[in-house]
Parts: sequence; C-alpha cells; structure tokens
Amino acid sequence: MGLKAYIAKRLVYTAVLIWAIITLNFLIFSALPGNPIEAYISRVGRLDPRYYAILAEHFGLNKPLHEKYFLTLKNLLTFDFGFSVRYNAPIIDIITKERLPNTLLLMGLAEVITIIVGMLIGVIVAYKRGGILDTATVTASLITFSVPIFFIGWILITIFCLYLQWLPTGGAYPRIWIRNPPSSIFEYIAGRIYHLILPTMALVIFSVGGWILLTRACILETITEDYVITARAKGLKERTVLYKHVLKNASLPLITNVALAFAGIVSGAMITETLFNYQGMGRLTYDAIFMAGGGSDIPLLQAIFYILALCVVVANFIADLIYGIIDPRVKYE
Amino acid sequence: MATRKQRISFAIKRFKGFWNQFKKSKRGLMGLAIIIFFSIIATFAPLIAPYKPIEPVIPRDEYPGIPSLGIKIAHQLCKPFWYKYLPWIRRGIDEITESFYFYGYFQSGMPFIHFIHENIFSPEIELEKIQATSNYMNVSRKISELKEIKVVLPDGTQQISSIAEWRLRGTREIESTVNPRSLIQLYPNYTKFEVTYTSGVDLVENMKIVKDHKFTTSRSFSEEWTWYSNKMNLENVINVEYDDEHGYVSGKSEDRGCITVTYNAAEDTIPSEDVNVTILREFTYPYYESPQDLFMHAMVNNTGPSPVKVQFMLIREDKKFILAGKEINNSRRYESFYLMAVNKTTLDSIFAAPKTYKFALLITIPAGGNTTIIHLDYVDCLLYGNIFGWLGTDNLKPFPSDIFSTLVYGSRVSLIVGLLTAIFSTIIGLFLGLISGYVGGIVDEGIMRFTDLLMVLPTLPLFIVLTVSMRTVSGYMSMWNIIIILTLFGWMGFARSVRSMVLSLRERAFVEAAKAAGAGRFHIINRHILPNVMALVYVTLAMSVPSAIVVEASLSWLGLGDPRLASWGKILYDFNSSGVVTTKGLLDYWFWVFPACVSIALLAAAFVLVGYALDEILNPKLRERR
Repeated sequence: MGLKAYIAKRLVYTAVLIWAIITLNFLIFSALPGNPIEAYISRVGRLDPRYYAILAEHFGLNKPLHEKYFLTLKNLLTFDFGFSVRYNAPIIDIITKERLPNTLLLMGLAEVITIIVGMLIGVIVAYKRGGILDTATVTASLITFSVPIFFIGWILITIFCLYLQWLPTGGAYPRIWIRNPPSSIFEYIAGRIYHLILPTMALVIFSVGGWILLTRACILETITEDYVITARAKGLKERTVLYKHVLKNASLPLITNVALAFAGIVSGAMITETLFNYQGMGRLTYDAIFMAGGGSDIPLLQAIFYILALCVVVANFIADLIYGIIDPRVKYE
Repeated sequence: MATRKQRISFAIKRFKGFWNQFKKSKRGLMGLAIIIFFSIIATFAPLIAPYKPIEPVIPRDEYPGIPSLGIKIAHQLCKPFWYKYLPWIRRGIDEITESFYFYGYFQSGMPFIHFIHENIFSPEIELEKIQATSNYMNVSRKISELKEIKVVLPDGTQQISSIAEWRLRGTREIESTVNPRSLIQLYPNYTKFEVTYTSGVDLVENMKIVKDHKFTTSRSFSEEWTWYSNKMNLENVINVEYDDEHGYVSGKSEDRGCITVTYNAAEDTIPSEDVNVTILREFTYPYYESPQDLFMHAMVNNTGPSPVKVQFMLIREDKKFILAGKEINNSRRYESFYLMAVNKTTLDSIFAAPKTYKFALLITIPAGGNTTIIHLDYVDCLLYGNIFGWLGTDNLKPFPSDIFSTLVYGSRVSLIVGLLTAIFSTIIGLFLGLISGYVGGIVDEGIMRFTDLLMVLPTLPLFIVLTVSMRTVSGYMSMWNIIIILTLFGWMGFARSVRSMVLSLRERAFVEAAKAAGAGRFHIINRHILPNVMALVYVTLAMSVPSAIVVEASLSWLGLGDPRLASWGKILYDFNSSGVVTTKGLLDYWFWVFPACVSIALLAAAFVLVGYALDEILNPKLRERR
C-alpha cells in the first residue's frame, strides 16, 4: 500500500467518523426520549412566539424522524446551526468570529509547550531510570494527573493575581480594548500574551505529567529492544544510541498520541477557560449550560460539541498523515 | 479435580505471594493506606460529621413556630474555630487614621459637597469621579469610637475639629452637623480632614444566651433570670415565677416548665396605667467585633382577655435597643414570637466592645383592670459569630452548611461514583474485548470501529452535552446519571487492550490443546483466556477510578452535579459560584476549598498509585526492566 492509498483510506475513515458524530448528535439531541431540542424550542416559544417559528422550521420540529435526521445531517454538514436567541446572532458567527480562534490559540500553545517540555523531561527521566529524579518525577506526574485542573488554576490565580499581582485574573484580552482597541500590532500581541500566560500555564501543568509518563514508557520500551543492545555492543556512543536508535523509534507512538492529547486538552481547556473567564469555546459552553431564566441553550451546545469533535477528528487526520510520512512501514507495506 | 478446601488454601497462598510482592512497593502501600482512610471516613460519615451535610439546621423542635425547617447553625462564610488559636490573626482594637479631601461648590444656587477618600483622590481628579463620592466621610472600617478629626487647610495650617460637629451615620459614615452652605464658606476646596477612629477586629463564636431555654427545672429560671416591673412597689400585683405545669410541649419533649407572669388586677391601685414587666437575663459579650446575625425566640401564651404586647430588647449600660415586638391575643394556646435576622449595621451599633448586656423580654399589659396570666417558654437569643466548626461554613442561604460535614459525606459520593464507574466500565470493556478478540471477523471489525469513534470524541464536552440533555429531559441531575454516562464512555481503552491480549492468547499452544481436547468456546474463554486477562482487569479497575472521580468533580464544578447531594464537587461549585475566588481568593478562604481539592487529588492519586503498583507486579515484562 502506497502513501496515496493510505491517505485515501484515512480520508474515507475520517468521513465515516464525521457521519458518526453527526448521528450521535442527532441521537442525543433529537431522537432519544425526552428530546432536549423539542423541550428547548417549546420553552423559548413560550417566551417569544417569533423565535418558535424560526427554530421549529430550522430543526424540523413537526417532521417525521427520518426527515429530521436528514435535516440534521444537512444542517451540521453546512455548519448551519441555527439562530441563538440569547446572543441574537447566527450560532456559527458566534463561534467562528472570536471563540474558536481563541480556543485554538490557547490549546495550540498549551499543547506545543506540553509536548516539548514533556518529551524533554521524559527522555531525561527514562535515561536516568531508577534514580531519585526518576522516582520523584514519576510520582509527581502521577499526582498532577489526578489533581483537578481548576485546583491548579485557583492556585495560580492566588499566587500570580492576588498575591503577586503580576497577571490579570481573567479575560482573553484587556477589558479596556472594548472601548479603545489596541493601536499597534505589538500592543495587540503583548496584550494577548499577557492574558494567555495563566491559562496556558494551568493547561501545561495539568497535561505535562501524562506526556512525561508516556515518553518515559515509550523510551523504556525501545531501550530494552535487541537492536539497542546491539548498537551498544558495537561500541556506539551513548548519545548516538539514544538519539539515532532509541528516540527515532520511540517517537512513532508519541505522534499518534499528539492527536489523542489534543482531545484531552479540549477537556482541560473547557474548564480552564471557564475558570479564567477566557472568551473561548469552554466559556461559551458554560454560558450555554446556564441560561438566564433556567435551562440550557441546547442548539448552541450542539454546535459547540460538533465543532469541538470536528477539531479533534481533523487533528487525528493530520496526525495520521504525519505518521504516514514518517513511518517507513506505511510506504512499503 | 481439587477439593474445595484445597482450592481455598491455594487461593490464600496465591494472595500471600501477591501481598509479599505488593508490600515491596512503597507507592502501592501509600495508595492503599489512603484508600482505606477514605473508606473508613465514608463508612462512618454520620459518626464523624457533626452536622447534616446539606442544609443543616437547629431543628424546629428547639424553637417551635418558625416558618422554615429550623434555623441556621451558623452564619454564612464563617472561618474555622481554630483560627482563634492562631497568633498572627489580629484581635482587639485598632486605631485607624484615614484622610478625606473636601470639595464643595454651588450649582444653580444649591450647595454640593463631597468628601473624597485619599485612595481615590488626585489633584487633577475628574468630575465624574467626584460625583461618585459622597457628602459624608465613608471610612473603610466599622467605627467603634471616633477619636479625633484634624483639619489641614490647603495652605498647611492645622486645627482640631470638635467631635461634636460630626455625627455617625450608621457605623461607617461620618457626617458634618454644620449645614453644607456654611461648610463651603468655612473650608476651601481640597481641605484635608484626617479622621482617627478605633475599630474592633475579633473572631466571634456563636453564643447561646439562655442555657436552658425550655425551662426544664426551677433552677433554670432562678439562676439565670431576673425581672422588674413598674408596679413592683405594690404588693401582690405582679409576680413572675417558675411554673412546672403550663409549659409548651414541643414534639416528643416531656418538659412542662415555663415562666408564668401573673398580673393580679384586683390588688392594683392604679389600674389606669399600663403594666410593664421586663424579664431579663444578663450576659457578657466578650468580643470587639459585633455578631454577624442574631435570632430571638419566645413562645407566649396569653390567658388574659386583652392582647398583650411582647418586645425583644437588648439593654446596654447606656442604652436600650428594642428589636422587635408583637401583639399576642388570647388564643388559649402558645403563640410563637421570633426575630430571624438583624442587619449588620444595627448589630454594629449595639455591640461595639466587650461589655455586659441584658437580653430582655418586655411585656406590656394594657390598662383595663383585667387579671392576666401569661406563660412564657422557649425564650432564647442566639448570637451568630464569624467562626464555626472545623472548616467554617459556606455562603449558602438561608442555611449555610458546615464545610467539614459536607467534606466527610462527600467522600461517599466520590468513592461510589469512582468505584461503580470503574467496575461497570471494566465489565463492559472486558465483555466487548473478549468477544471482539475471540470471535473476530465482522463482529471484531464492528466493535473496534465503534470503539475508535468513541475514543475520538472529546470526553468532557460529550459528558457536558449528555448531562445537560439528561437534565433537560428529567428535570434534575443525579449521581446515577453521571455514573451511567461515565460508564458508557469509559470502557474503550480497556476493550482494546483485552482484544489485543486475547488475539495473542488464542494462538497459544494451551488454547489449541484445549480445542483439540474438544473444549467449547465458552469453556476456553472462561478457563483459559479469562484467567490470563484478569491481571489486566485488576490494573484497569484501579486505573479507571481516578478519572471518574475527577470527571465527576469537574462536572459538579461546572454546576452539573446533584445540588441536593453532598459531594466534593458541590463544595467546589459553591466556592466557585460564590465569587470569593476572584475577590478574596484562596488566601482568605483556603479552608473552604483546599481540603476538598486535596481529597479529590489524594483519592484519585491513591488509585493511580495502587494501579501502578499492581501493574508492576502483574506485568512481568515491566518488572524485568527495573
């Protein structure tokens, strides 16, 4: 199987995944007993009959189930999520204008830092396995693994915002920008970074433990292989063995995990954003869960979930592609 | 075939061998110790926790007639009681000096004056800021006593202003008694007023003023209470005494005691005058800080023909404070009279420094010459302080919960959610993995693709979406919903591991031998494959508990937990939604949320550590590497 066939296969698989996600969406929101969308529409309709008409048409309220399904399929594939009563704007605009870029920025930054730091520490620790450093790092990683991320966030807020007063407690950018936007690009970047530091730090602390453990495990797995022993027996320098023989082979499973880690960081980002009041998808979700007047903004939640799942699927696809390019076995199998 | 006895002894031997291995792992032992610790706490929660975890109250039986289930056990946002033993927490009287800048002007003939606090003052102060300030000096702390007001004119001359020229508005505002017009003529703009006042800081414990408020024995009246009346000089007209027959009977209690006030009109020489009877109990208030809240209660039974007026009073050496009053008609039964809440400003003006006070019940029998007998029972006054319990109280209204009790009961929820989710999802994973691996073919393909799909989904958004839609459907959230959701989406990784293990196992020689001997599918899975997979099962069981615990806490933190269930996540949610975090932060209220977070982390980490230790023991390949 060549690389092209491999990519084609992954593409088909990704398409099937997207279809499955849409179907799951339909199941959760429209098909299961109780029907949250219907409940939502009727609740909104009681407040304002005009919205009722718009929403009922968009979600095909009174149509039979199979028609509803195709409507959902069409809506989600064309990113037509309907109209948010609360924000008084099409849902897709709310998401793409500001929220999704903010979230991707935060997650991307956090993931890159996590991977670099995690792999670095993981390699060092694996190399000096059995020592005090190793035991301490592994134990610390196991513990950060189980500390809820909001606790990390609270501690960071307390230290850096309330005690030292170095960093802002929340927001994605300085509040003053609402009235007078930044004048230069440098000011813009500085302002954004200033507000990104804490959420990123929380996310990195939260997820770096997993990466350290994973890298360590992968390297330990390869370090005991016969060809490494052979390389050592040949009299190669320890550094050459580590970089050329161990790290190169150990990196393959790590790449697959980049995509999986992305899914994990989505979860972390939901909470971090809520905690730091960072205007991203997580904060949007939190606001959608608790609408003024009780109940939840179901269509918005549906859109958020779909978009986030889509991001993860795309990330998976990209990871697969990179994997295909790097791993020689894909080309020659 | 081995006998039952042999089998048991074999199992014990195997366990002993395993335990010897496990003992060597320090991490594993530590984890096990933590798990056992929390299990004990969860099991004996009702014995350990002093209060109910949700909406704890002093029950209605204690103070009958109140509209709610009871009264709060403590005020909101109390600090832990052991704060009073911390030497660095300041207590006592502080002398504080604050400065205000005077700014006055006439607008269309009307005088406007402002006192601008030094913190917000600048020489080029903007007008809009000036408008936000007030025409009285708003000091930052409660005033116990006003000491001195120094006036510094813009040219630098100083003078001491007479205290009499100023008066207190409430407890934090100082107002000039001079009228604004002459004030503007008297002082030029930007004149500085330096105010020196004292303010009390203290940790106040809850106080119950009346020891035996049900009057169970005659001593409870004679030792605690005194009384006087405006007709005391007349003999036999008015009498207040202990009565052991007419008491109010609340619920199951058997006490019959009460206080009886007798007004004998026949002996009264001036019947045209109202009769006032004051029944009072003296107490010492030892704190510099006023109480946070106050509750007063009495049951009154009026047997006379005309309504009597009952009033609650607090008597300070220099002043009387009437807090509430009620007319009690003759209804031939006890009527409740209570005062549920008093605002802090009022309390600040009553309680300023350690002093002796009297809690008093003032009864006014109207003139008219009617002989009246009044029974009083369940008379009490509670003062709510700002320290309470092992970990203080939260901010819930009307009944703040004792954080320590919620924490203790919360271990139950976390353990139940964690363990049940782990067990159920492991069973599902094991089942699907076995089928997928052993049956193979299209079944395998189907199950694995389904697994892949579920593994791709971002978990927390999925859980949020599911809990929200379940909440929308059922109208509330329960712990079981979370368990179901976590189970349904927690088995995938394990199913995969089991499948790959089964795939390699079923090609082994012993499976082939069993097949050749004519063993059925079920027998082979049950007898030859399952025992080999069990090691993985134990590890997964331990390893999937932590994520369930953390996810449950995260969902509760987002407000998707069961609000009627005491869980660690609920503590976090209450803390988060109280807004304390961004104003005062963990530094001031660390005891509220720190124990819950640490408990979550500890319990989760304990399972990880045990899982890790099990993995090392049961997975020989890992052991070799060390």
